[in-house]
Amino acid sequence: MDTSAARTYGVNEALVESVPLVAAAHSEGFAELYERTFPRVYAYVASLLRDRAAAEDVTSQAFERAYRKRRSYRPARGSTDAWLFGIARNAALDELRKRKRRAVLEVDPEDTASPTPEDHAELALRRETVRAALASLDAQERDLIALKFAGGLSNAEIARVLGMSESNAGTRLHRTITKLREACHE
Amino acid sequence: MSDQLAAIDDALEAGAADHHDPLTRELQELALALRADAPEADPDFQRRLRGRVEAGFPKPASSRRPRWRRFTTPAFATGLVVLPLVLIAVVASGGGQSDQGDTGGGGGGSATLESGGGDAGPALETPDRALGKAGGLGTADRAASSAHGDVLPPDGGFAPGQRNRKIERSIGLELEMPVDQMARVAEQVTTVTNRHGGFVLSSSVSTGEESAGGDFELRIPSAGLRPALRDLAALADVRTQTQTGRDVTREHVTAKDRLQAARAERRSLLRRLELATTDEEAEAIRRRLDIVAGEINGLRSQLRGLRLRTDYAVVTVSLLPKDGDSGGGAGGSFDDALGDAGDLLVGVAGVIVRALAVGLPLGLIALLGWLVGRAVRRRQRESALA
Repeated sequence: MDTSAARTYGVNEALVESVPLVAAAHSEGFAELYERTFPRVYAYVASLLRDRAAAEDVTSQAFERAYRKRRSYRPARGSTDAWLFGIARNAALDELRKRKRRAVLEVDPEDTASPTPEDHAELALRRETVRAALASLDAQERDLIALKFAGGLSNAEIARVLGMSESNAGTRLHRTITKLREACHE
Repeated sequence: MSDQLAAIDDALEAGAADHHDPLTRELQELALALRADAPEADPDFQRRLRGRVEAGFPKPASSRRPRWRRFTTPAFATGLVVLPLVLIAVVASGGGQSDQGDTGGGGGGSATLESGGGDAGPALETPDRALGKAGGLGTADRAASSAHGDVLPPDGGFAPGQRNRKIERSIGLELEMPVDQMARVAEQVTTVTNRHGGFVLSSSVSTGEESAGGDFELRIPSAGLRPALRDLAALADVRTQTQTGRDVTREHVTAKDRLQAARAERRSLLRRLELATTDEEAEAIRRRLDIVAGEINGLRSQLRGLRLRTDYAVVTVSLLPKDGDSGGGAGGSFDDALGDAGDLLVGVAGVIVRALAVGLPLGLIALLGWLVGRAVRRRQRESALA
């Protein structure tokens, strides 16, 4: 798993500041935004869809939509990451609705990163445990987990994407992680 | 809770779970495991998408939307529906007409005449906005001299709760026109009066250059007064209009009651006359009958007079030569130009106000629809996760 600089959590805010929001209106600024966010957007979408091909389509759609709507971005409404993930989430939900993938999502999660022979047994076991615990969550809880850990968003950004208060987002996130931990022990 | 969330963020940032509390450390490890398990993209896909980003997401020529398809967007369709509605509403409003049968012949301003402040009734709007075509009509001129306040009631009743009120109405109109049009206007005054079922009681017209002018005393049925005044006002510019009204319902009712009483008395006297046993008694009854018959005749006459005065309004029309106007040429004084400009501005403002009156509610409805649509779309999207 590549934890590149793009996923250097906690530094996101600084990166957002460093990319002038107005710059997103230009192709060069948007290219920077793409480089910075692509791995996380893809990871989030793939976590939600559990289908590599669909995740690529939706990620592509999301960036294209964001590019075409880049002039509608308003800094006062939140960070570029929150804005971009909002678009990606909408595209993913549209895809889920369109393809009726909900059943697939619930019963047949694709193994998008199977353990390689080099993986240690303990690591593989822990990964399987976590995946099994994830499968016990409902779709909204998995969405929250994906936004936080695959998307790497802050709680404030998650709140922005989901249209709720930051404290509510934090509470729900804490509750979900606790539930996930308990599911790992079962 | 917030401590654990902060600890999770710390672990994600540092890439290690090192909290002293075992439970929190377990959550940190779980967070790291979740992040490590996040799906990774195919490098080929990432490279292809980067290429599209750098090219500005060019659309394949085959998928480009034909230009005419732009006209099939919901926004365009909404505009296509709303715009004609606004136009129809503006046109239907007649560029300044009210629903009281106006012709809207000119400037578009309303000519509300102020009543004299009497206690007989509220100040009422003049029936005829066409009066507003009097270009130089000043406020002072417009102020009607009304002796009793009640002028011209709107259609459908003039005193809520009371029906069949009897109102004597008297209207004075001063029409201003170029001298060379005076003969034509005088002729049209008669024509309009006849058309509305009225008659000319007296008239005098002079078309000489020095003493051009005319006076008409008309009787016009009260029921058709409003359109008649509108047509009269449309004949020329209205310099002034005065309206007076007097409520004679009480006189009418009193006379009617007295007539009924007199008739009842006459019937009673006639019965007593049949039963009279002596000549003296019969003679006394006859004398009384004569008196009562006189009263009945007088009351009938009074009622007839009242009815005539209330069924027909007295309309006085004065024709006046227009000062310094030689017949409607393109020229005119600075004051005229100023007046025309003012009228034009009032007209434009009227159209804008009407357009807003129609457009704002429609806009609000459209906004509401858009908000509802957005909420529905959001709910439908969220249902994918339900």
